[in-house]
Amino acid sequence: MDRDWLADFREQCERNLQRSVAERMRYGFCYVYKPVLDDAPWRSFDSTAAYRQWCRENLPVYLGYGDLPPSERAS
Amino acid sequence: MPRDQFNPSQAQEVAVAFATHSVDYMFIGKSGAILLGYPGTTQDVDVFPLKDPDNGRRILAALKDLGFSLDDTLAAEIIAGKDFVQIKSGPFDIDLVFAPDGLESYAEAKARMDTSTGFPVLNIRDIIASKRAARRARDLIELPLLEAFREVYEKRQK
Repeated sequence: MDRDWLADFREQCERNLQRSVAERMRYGFCYVYKPVLDDAPWRSFDSTAAYRQWCRENLPVYLGYGDLPPSERAS
Repeated sequence: MPRDQFNPSQAQEVAVAFATHSVDYMFIGKSGAILLGYPGTTQDVDVFPLKDPDNGRRILAALKDLGFSLDDTLAAEIIAGKDFVQIKSGPFDIDLVFAPDGLESYAEAKARMDTSTGFPVLNIRDIIASKRAARRARDLIELPLLEAFREVYEKRQK
């Protein structure tokens, strides 16, 4: 990741830390409908691994709930 | 189903209801990081509750106060402390993660818990470790940002 970009982000962190917790919630929590994921009132899994598996098999890839490809797992 | 209404103060509402019913829990994941001051966004509240039947019953009472609709099967799953319970039948989405990735025990995580905001939040280092252990594609871009936030956050805490 670009170092200047990270420097900017650190400054953004400093500014956000000056906000109240109420403001952090106001700007930090949002809602967008997520297909499939939002289409059941509840679901449960015996392990987080089972949840990940369900995400891989059922959710649209663009939602980003899948695993990292092996080439990106080193770090 | 898409929601008609949304209130960003969901973490506050959870904190009040869980405190009223003496639920043993902490905020984790991105919702926890946001409470600490991480400048990101999320759509749900992730909590790490103590896996204990009595605590599960207290969670049920708190969720009912918050307006969640809980059928008997879901209630039983919560009392049993099933590792991952995702609930979307209330005013906002909440994930009860009784066994988060990358965390060995509730007691150890609680010993490092961050209460500086007035909310019980998993330590930022544990939030990062858990996200790293999850290895989701959506976390790839987030990890360097969370690490940068941790550096700034810990520097201010000293």
